[in-house]
Amino acid sequence: MSARPLRVVGRPVPRVDGLEKVTGRARYVTDLVLPGMAHAKVLRSPYAHARVRRVDVARAGARPGVFAALSSADLTWCEPYFGPAFRDRPVLAIDVARHEGEPVAAVAAVDEATAEEALELIAVDYEPLPWAITLEEALGPGAPLVHTGEPLSGHFADLATLRPQPGTNVCHRFHFERGDAVTALAGADLVVEDTYRFPPVQHYALEPHAVLAAWDETGALTLWASTQNPYSVRVELAKMFGVPLARIRVIVPHLGGGFGSKTYAKLEPLAAALARAAGRPVRLAASVPEAFQTVRRCAARVTTRVGFRRDGTLVAVECAADYDVGAYADIGPRVVQKATYTATGPYRVPHVRLDARAVYTNTTPGGAFRGFGVPQLAWALESLFDVAAGRLDRDPVDLRRQNFLAHGEEFAPGDTPIDGKLEESLGRAAEAIGWTRAGAADRGRGVAAMLKASLAPSVSEAIVRLHTDGSVSVLASAVEMGQGTRTVLAQIAAEVLSLPLARVTVVQPDTAVTPYDQTTSSSRSTAMTGRAVQLAAEDVRDQLLRVVAEALGVAARDLALEDGAVVAPARRLTYTEVLVLRFGMSGGELIGRGVIAPGRTAAPLGGSTPFWEMAVGAAEVSVDEETGAVRIERYVSVADVGRAINPLLLEGQDEGGVVQGLGHTLLEEMLYQDGHLLNGTLLVYRVPRADDAPPELECHFVENADGSGPFGAKGAGEGSLIPVSPAVANALARLTGVRLRDLPLTPERVWRALRARGR
Amino acid sequence: MLRPFTLHRPDTADEACALLARLGEDAAPYAGGTELLLLMKLGWLRPRHLVDVKRIRELGDLTGGPRLAIGATVTHRALERSALVRVHCPLVASVARHVANVRVRNVGTVGGNLAFADPHSDLATLFLTLDATVALVSPRGRRELPLADFVRGPWETARASDELLALVRLTPWPAGTAAAYVKFGVHERPTLGVAVALQLDGAGPGGARSSGRSVRVADARVAIGCVSPRPTRAPAAEARLEGVAIAELEDVAGAAAESAAATVDPADDLYGSADYKREMVAVFVRRALRIAAARARGAEPAARFPHAVVA
Amino acid sequence: MQINVAVNDRAHVLEVAPHALLLDVLRDVLDLKGAKRSCDTQVCGACTVLVDGLAVSACTYLAVEADGRSVLTVEGLADGESLDPLQRAFLDAGAVQCGFCTSGMLLTARALLRENPAPTREDVLHYLRGSLCRCTGYRKIVEAVLAAAETAR
Repeated sequence: MSARPLRVVGRPVPRVDGLEKVTGRARYVTDLVLPGMAHAKVLRSPYAHARVRRVDVARAGARPGVFAALSSADLTWCEPYFGPAFRDRPVLAIDVARHEGEPVAAVAAVDEATAEEALELIAVDYEPLPWAITLEEALGPGAPLVHTGEPLSGHFADLATLRPQPGTNVCHRFHFERGDAVTALAGADLVVEDTYRFPPVQHYALEPHAVLAAWDETGALTLWASTQNPYSVRVELAKMFGVPLARIRVIVPHLGGGFGSKTYAKLEPLAAALARAAGRPVRLAASVPEAFQTVRRCAARVTTRVGFRRDGTLVAVECAADYDVGAYADIGPRVVQKATYTATGPYRVPHVRLDARAVYTNTTPGGAFRGFGVPQLAWALESLFDVAAGRLDRDPVDLRRQNFLAHGEEFAPGDTPIDGKLEESLGRAAEAIGWTRAGAADRGRGVAAMLKASLAPSVSEAIVRLHTDGSVSVLASAVEMGQGTRTVLAQIAAEVLSLPLARVTVVQPDTAVTPYDQTTSSSRSTAMTGRAVQLAAEDVRDQLLRVVAEALGVAARDLALEDGAVVAPARRLTYTEVLVLRFGMSGGELIGRGVIAPGRTAAPLGGSTPFWEMAVGAAEVSVDEETGAVRIERYVSVADVGRAINPLLLEGQDEGGVVQGLGHTLLEEMLYQDGHLLNGTLLVYRVPRADDAPPELECHFVENADGSGPFGAKGAGEGSLIPVSPAVANALARLTGVRLRDLPLTPERVWRALRARGR
Repeated sequence: MLRPFTLHRPDTADEACALLARLGEDAAPYAGGTELLLLMKLGWLRPRHLVDVKRIRELGDLTGGPRLAIGATVTHRALERSALVRVHCPLVASVARHVANVRVRNVGTVGGNLAFADPHSDLATLFLTLDATVALVSPRGRRELPLADFVRGPWETARASDELLALVRLTPWPAGTAAAYVKFGVHERPTLGVAVALQLDGAGPGGARSSGRSVRVADARVAIGCVSPRPTRAPAAEARLEGVAIAELEDVAGAAAESAAATVDPADDLYGSADYKREMVAVFVRRALRIAAARARGAEPAARFPHAVVA
Repeated sequence: MQINVAVNDRAHVLEVAPHALLLDVLRDVLDLKGAKRSCDTQVCGACTVLVDGLAVSACTYLAVEADGRSVLTVEGLADGESLDPLQRAFLDAGAVQCGFCTSGMLLTARALLRENPAPTREDVLHYLRGSLCRCTGYRKIVEAVLAAAETAR
């Protein structure tokens, strides 16, 4: 790479899809209409757990205007189960409904009103069964079993060794150890231990799940889906319908938010089945209450023990975590496994013993949600760190700094060494929050740090096409869900090919057109898909240089790209001219390819993380002691990102992450009573509003170009959310002396804790 | 998505009532629709006829006099911006400004709010301190009853199915009354709402401060909403406040607040546990009284409480 | 029922059922997809349009109510290719991420600025109480509205 300063990477350029979004022209799945399109509605179980004795769709199917009415009995022409970890989730309930809201039957009709009326014509005989809603109910003796029988394993290598516990609701267990934690804890000068609870919470992407499915006359399937991983959906459908991957096309328009809720198949299998049965395109759009019944964050109960030496050195961490993954595993087992692997956080810990279980309950399936299991564990560990600091009479910032993993230090044998400078993030956060300055008497400050691995191994491929007019298409399947990936990928290509951003177009993800990308999640799109795009653009660059070098008889290394041209000592050839040279005529294109596929390694989870996501959060809070209402007055997030490809978009991401974290910290909790979800609508499920955001919110970035992604970039977007709850709880504890262990810190919970403490 | 219905648009109250009488339970009066259409979408109500009352001219009237008459189809926004209301019942305008969100205020009506008797209604709570009466018209004639008798319980009123809520009448407080409304809660609907109004005795033309004599509470009104099946006054608390000098109000506020809290009948629900709600009633009655006392002295307290709105 | 409604300054004569919601008529009959359905309960604001300058939840507003009125949707904000200062401000501030809340935010802000050309931060927060966003954390949205107000003055 030349040492020329970057022109477009690192600049806060406006997002490439901004104009269509502010003018209402951006298209999301429910904006799409196909000729003859039918509208689907789903009949869902009103019970948390029930035998489904009979589903009679005959009257619904006979109603004029109804093109298809399906129950599981009708799905004889496809594999009825799907799921990325276990293939445990039926398209439509088979003999048993395992959660309130589980799809039991579905119709496709000429319009929504007809579809709704048709649902009322479906007769279902339910026989309610005992249910298990909480972890305690699911793990207790004689607990009702959510699943009986052996589900098939899904399509991921890292979960090929799924370890369910037969005869129980435990669908996966993960164990990790290093050294001898039991002995180390016994010998530690200080052991702090407690149990922390993280509630089930809802993503609430403004756009609920939506799919438009259409089979063509050749038996090929096309879907427009609001999904974060079109390739995963494609695999699922191929297996389900026995159709080759090449004949399934998944196209992804804009997503109205994702946050993990749209990873892995959700409604796509049902939409495809309906389209097949209806013989016409079918659009299936969930309502927000249906989204509450489709996926959520895995709740958790975490018991952590941390041992310290008197001088503050961390010696051991023992963690036992139970994650509630709901009625179907979804990606829950990976959430559990991957998060538990980093349960020790960003610290050096010689002795470690980690045990985690993924537990089925009769509730909405738990899946991926920004943070991927780490918020639940950081809630415990970072809270305990402050408890320990108090007992050791140490400053919490200082105690963390003392134990941080250093740049280049090993996290676990075979895995990528730590590729960032945690103490730099901590220092900047402490500075920005004014840690050492005396604070107002009615305010408290707290900090928390996090470390998270990204998905490994994974594959991202990209293609860059340089056209005869010098414009470029970038083909990559990273999904735009607001985070700005389309813009970042364009910036990377524009930088490598020395083009104005306006000359670069990022094509929408389409499995028939844009090559394989594992997933848009795990903070990986800039580092992985971006790197693939960079390689593809460099491939094009190399071709340009080769053509000119050969034509001019010079060495490629004496050439450079500048403003859409190849520059030689005495000549300047525009890309258009280079293509004419190459093809001897006007026509043709240069195609570059990039592949990032680090492959399996000896790291404990089977792949070495492409980067470590690390961040620190610092909160300053006030509390109205009479009501228990906590207010975050100031919040500082510092993320170590290597290189901010687009600082404006990154800042927006992290501001959003902090406020989303504020949600589960102070406001959000899915509440169940007698097996029913009480607050599955926005009328009673409380997400942060504009006036909840901290009046002072700063997001900073540490950029040492030390990542393996393009231009030294790493990943970001989850690190801003993870520290929020422990930072706030730590601040509250420092202010009031009260330590809370159950989220969210609602006014009532805080009030009770303050009363228990006494005045 | 709504189920089909027939929309009727009578021009007079008589026509509207005749329709309601004829159609019975199959019909619902419809104005702004912010409650009605929501309940229809949720499937809790399925009227096959909607009787749109917005063309009935007099239902849109807002008139002054010894009593303020607010027609049923007056929107929250109109209430907020009405010069008449701002002059005679300024707190009503302030409270209207904070109902739900701007879109609901633009379209939702006072009549709809009262007729649905949502237990979390701000206006119903406040109106109890203003001697509110509601006028109901039907083919059988017209009757007017106190709001306290009109609202019977959660989502339950004294309105017969062939009756139309025509207007609500308020008796503005005398000039110099110090009042406050505070609502508190995390959710879309508040956990509690407290209205206090202190009519003052001995205040000069410029308010309590300008008078040389000791200013006392001549009449106190305290209403609490959202925590009981319907909004209620707290007579024991009011009695505790009567005759108290403004200068001493702080000392009495606590006891009055405790007394008010003892009168409410909260249930454990999403909005809070019963004991928490009861305690919060005490907290916010006390705070509302302090705010009113400050206003009585001509000051506007800067107090802001998280998750609370002060009007 | 027949209604006469001006949408983004264009007159329309439409035949709508009494139970038709304004949001569906705008999206499905007039092909104006900018207003979105999200919560469907008047809480989130994604469906916001302006009727005679007032913000309404189109998801809970009968189309027949728009008879004789003028409706402004996000598609009507720009004047040809010339963006409204609010649209410009949202782009410049980075206040757009997934975009699903954006049209609602823009129209709500437009109504605010027409009513109050010099809002304080408190005024903006009050007005946006009913407009949810899950992506941005709101800070840039509030900055954009204040910046647009500044520009317009």
